[in-house]
Amino acid sequence: MKKTLALLLAVVMVLAVLAGCGPQGTTEPTGSGTEGTNPPEGTQGTQAPAEKPVYIYKDAVSQMPTNWNMFTYKTSDDALPIDYGIVDGLYTMMYNDELHPLDGKDPYEGFVFVPAMAADFPVDVTEQVKAEHPEFGIPEDATEDYAFSVKLRDDLTWDDGTPITAQTFLDSYELLLRPELLNYRASDAYSGSFVIANSKAYALSGQPVFQSFNDMGTTYEEFIAAGHTDDEVYLAMRSFWSVTAADGRDQAPITDDTMVRDPAVAEGEDEDYVSAKYLWDNYIGPEGYYGSQDPTGYTNKYAGTTYMPYEEGYSFDNVGLFISGENELTFVYEQPIGTEFNLLTNIGVNLVKPDLYESLLVENETASGSMWSTTYCTNASTSPSYGPYKVSDYQLDKSMHFVKNENWYGWNYDAYKYVDPEDGQTYDPYMTDEIDVQYVKEAATRKEMFLAGQLMAYGLGAEDFDQYRSSEYTLATPGQASFMLLMNGYESAINQRENAGDFDKTTTDLQTMLVPAFREAIGVSIDRDLMAATISPARTGAYGMLGTLYVVDPETGTLYRDTDQAKMALINYYKVDLDKFNGDLDAAVDSITGYDPETAKELYTQAFQDSMEAGYITDEDGDGKSDQTVTITYAISQDNDFMTKTIDFLNESLAKATEGTPFEGKVVIVKSAPVGNAWSDRIEDGTYDTQLAGWNGNTYDPYNFALVWTDGPGEVYWGNWFTGEDAMETWTIDGQEITMSLRQWAQALNGQVITLTDPETGEETGTYNFGDGQTSIDNRVQILANIEQAMLESGNCYPVLLDGGMSLYTQQGFWVVDEYDPFMGRGGIRYYKYNYSESEWADYVASQGGVLQY
Amino acid sequence: MFKYALQRICYMILVFFIITLMCFVLIRMLPLAPLPAGDPHTEVIRLQREAAGYNEPYLTQFWLFLKNIFTKFNWGLSEMLYYGQDVWSIFVQKLPATMIVNLYSIIWSIPVGIALGIFAALYKNTWVDYFLSTATMIVISVPSFVYAFLIQYIFCFRLQWFPFLMAAGSNYFTWEMFRSMIPPVLSLSFGVIAGFTRTTRAELTEVLTSEFMLLARTKGLTKAQATVRHALRNCFVVVVPGIFGEFIGILGGSLIIEGIFAIPGVGGLTLNAITAQDYNIFMLSTCFYTAIGLAASLVVDISYGFIDPRIRVGSKK
Repeated sequence: MKKTLALLLAVVMVLAVLAGCGPQGTTEPTGSGTEGTNPPEGTQGTQAPAEKPVYIYKDAVSQMPTNWNMFTYKTSDDALPIDYGIVDGLYTMMYNDELHPLDGKDPYEGFVFVPAMAADFPVDVTEQVKAEHPEFGIPEDATEDYAFSVKLRDDLTWDDGTPITAQTFLDSYELLLRPELLNYRASDAYSGSFVIANSKAYALSGQPVFQSFNDMGTTYEEFIAAGHTDDEVYLAMRSFWSVTAADGRDQAPITDDTMVRDPAVAEGEDEDYVSAKYLWDNYIGPEGYYGSQDPTGYTNKYAGTTYMPYEEGYSFDNVGLFISGENELTFVYEQPIGTEFNLLTNIGVNLVKPDLYESLLVENETASGSMWSTTYCTNASTSPSYGPYKVSDYQLDKSMHFVKNENWYGWNYDAYKYVDPEDGQTYDPYMTDEIDVQYVKEAATRKEMFLAGQLMAYGLGAEDFDQYRSSEYTLATPGQASFMLLMNGYESAINQRENAGDFDKTTTDLQTMLVPAFREAIGVSIDRDLMAATISPARTGAYGMLGTLYVVDPETGTLYRDTDQAKMALINYYKVDLDKFNGDLDAAVDSITGYDPETAKELYTQAFQDSMEAGYITDEDGDGKSDQTVTITYAISQDNDFMTKTIDFLNESLAKATEGTPFEGKVVIVKSAPVGNAWSDRIEDGTYDTQLAGWNGNTYDPYNFALVWTDGPGEVYWGNWFTGEDAMETWTIDGQEITMSLRQWAQALNGQVITLTDPETGEETGTYNFGDGQTSIDNRVQILANIEQAMLESGNCYPVLLDGGMSLYTQQGFWVVDEYDPFMGRGGIRYYKYNYSESEWADYVASQGGVLQY
Repeated sequence: MFKYALQRICYMILVFFIITLMCFVLIRMLPLAPLPAGDPHTEVIRLQREAAGYNEPYLTQFWLFLKNIFTKFNWGLSEMLYYGQDVWSIFVQKLPATMIVNLYSIIWSIPVGIALGIFAALYKNTWVDYFLSTATMIVISVPSFVYAFLIQYIFCFRLQWFPFLMAAGSNYFTWEMFRSMIPPVLSLSFGVIAGFTRTTRAELTEVLTSEFMLLARTKGLTKAQATVRHALRNCFVVVVPGIFGEFIGILGGSLIIEGIFAIPGVGGLTLNAITAQDYNIFMLSTCFYTAIGLAASLVVDISYGFIDPRIRVGSKK
């Protein structure tokens, strides 16, 4: 009996475990092509007959996408399926070749546009739309560049064969902007220079917007005197205190005494809970600590009122996208589209399959209304495609597999054929039959898999450079981002941290970070090139806020960093004596290192005096050295070797630069706890002090960065303590001296009409728009360079590393061209070709002993 | 026995409740993850937090937590790692891979570990014993990820006997899947084998010198008969709880091994959830492991009675 029971118990245990291991409904077997070189198991049904060679592109990532819904995705990891071709555009770029000739250029120098989902190039219909549709607000004097009609191809379908028509575009755009869905990517559609008319009004209809008293041009006292009450006054809690109100909003009425948790303060500490009323009474209001001292900087900056700029119920019919003929769309823009390049790269909208999207929307009932979420594009079954590839298998945090979308119109489209520059033959695009993406966490595993022929590329680590940097299969790829060392300047957050109960002011100091000389000293303490060579050899030293890939004139391909204006911005900022180089800008720029240990020592000495005078630090023993250690917290997303190397290098640099100064051994950088993607929030709210951070953006639109850099709280790392609105700049454009804020310069540069008035008389002094097509490219570059220089001089960040990478590429395949082009890259999967099919490759790898030599 | 089991189950539920409450309060005391503006999930999660009673007293929050589970089986949404997705569905998607790999590891490790332990005990103080004891100490001292990299390098890269990664998909009972699981199973097994070898050897060595073993031999039993029928059964009083202890480990997974062999399991989920401040996932996994741990300890206690007839509970005095 006992034996039976014991046996029964064991059997039950094993069965319980096995039962839990059964197949899940949503994770069907994936086609994994990385194990050995056999074709994937899950894709047998889509493969060609055995005699036809199969080509599989095998990729590895350290983070799998979890949500690639084109309306809500957030990270570049999530964009992987989009990059691999589950979407398409109205127009596309093809390399210049015999089939797509470009006058005056050699083959594969430059590119030409060809219609993709569009049947032909767009037609300017500005005059017609202006006459027939006054609701779109095309200016009376406009005759072109505002409205364009596009005829769609008749053979567009989803991967299941469902037709794609002009109505699909319209429905998709409505879903993207639908106010109650609050799609993350909706703002992409109505911000920047390519805004479809009235799209913002529809997307934001019925939503209250906060406006500070400063922005309203009034004060709290004036607002109350005008007959308003405190119930109408709101406090920007998120901007000021990095907390959200009890109802989840960023603002709350100053009469609201509902206490909310401050996540930056430990439970039980002072101010672990705060309310709008508490913050108003103690800090922001006229009687508060800050408000009583600086009403403009606090009371009227963080308090204001809410209003509804767009009425609820605004109709989508007023949005400037409509069906204008049989399978024809007309796009109406709020600003003129300056160049054909900009038009062809921006016209169109991302599509979702409307019926599927609607069916997957889930309404979440809450006390304050309905909120919507969706599982669209979170697994293979909810991921329809209208591009060359479709998702065939997906397993959470494991793998993703793509196969050709047999219903894609492009397979029979001659415009996609290209001529190989080597053999002169014409080829069909997309030789790749399948794409297999595996989650591979460890670089060591990726390297072994690559050498065993199971991956198409391996990104070289610092330890690989000596062995592989000169391999004929190694290619360097410049990166867009210029990584900058951020510096915390959020005074109230720093003060708050110093006032915490467990902070020891006798040994530690944070406030010195606010001293300009100290911040500048940090900037010149770092040898950029040595830093790159030490921590990331594929990268190089950076000196400007923009990297080397950005193109200011797509027609000529001129790079921003090659312009005289951009060179002068660096020469001015780094104080290079141009006379020493006989006016040679290139030589002057080449001399820039950004590293000046002598100046650093002078600045640290100056900073010591300034900090003492401000009462930030002490020198009780009179030894001429700070009693406190300035402790700078580096916000790490995750703890790894790269972070350790980076922080070690920075500390060594600071130690060397402070030698012999009052801060000798008194400036250290320490790691924060790993905070994942929240690191940027922690920098913004001043919880942590520094990070190496940068931005990627449109290669052909560097001007847009000016908007990012000069933005306000919640939008840019330094938005809580520096905004472009506060910095006035006077520059001369076309012989005219113009004074406006950095933010206004940035807005004008990006096509917004800025009207300036005389502050004394209130009379209009001028209207400015330096957007695309509104002024010369020289002027635009000059303004961008001026903004870049002004931002560098603001001391909120110091460029140190220019992104880039080196990778080994497989012998199994190759790109038609090796040279990297800012627009085309290397042509992507469309121009990828193979030396071996899967079976041939398996034989080849076996013939090499299973381990390939590079 | 039935009454005892019932009593233990009642205690188990009580203990589970207390541990859950303690963990709940501690987790709710942690700083909340900031939510990005302008995302629909942000609004949903904010309102979920509101509905979950943040800003209310902890006991009210705990009541709402229990109510959501018992009425809707709602463990909340992932706030950071899998933005806006249901944490229960994520957890159950990832659990099977961890369980199957670790189960294979246990199934393989226990007989090997016990056999080596018996071997070492029977040849006590010979070179066999010295070799096994030394090897055991070395293996226990080296972390399993070192074996993982070595196994991957030797068997997957150099010899190419196995694939580098666990096969994709959820059909765990195919040859392809089994073959792909051998490297992680081996990596996990070394430590377990060494543990069982050491425990079995120590216990068996002691039992073999007992007087009842001498009696057994004098009754005419062979050494093998005496060892299997008497010695082994006695040393299992210590070994078997170890098996159940390992069974708890099955569900805990292994963060590093899962990462190296791309096992889509729960090993890293809890740690990632803590790092990313995704507390709903953290709370769910905490509850799950607490329940499994308590259940396993109950099974261990009850199993004593079957292994050793001298151990009885609940009998009349």
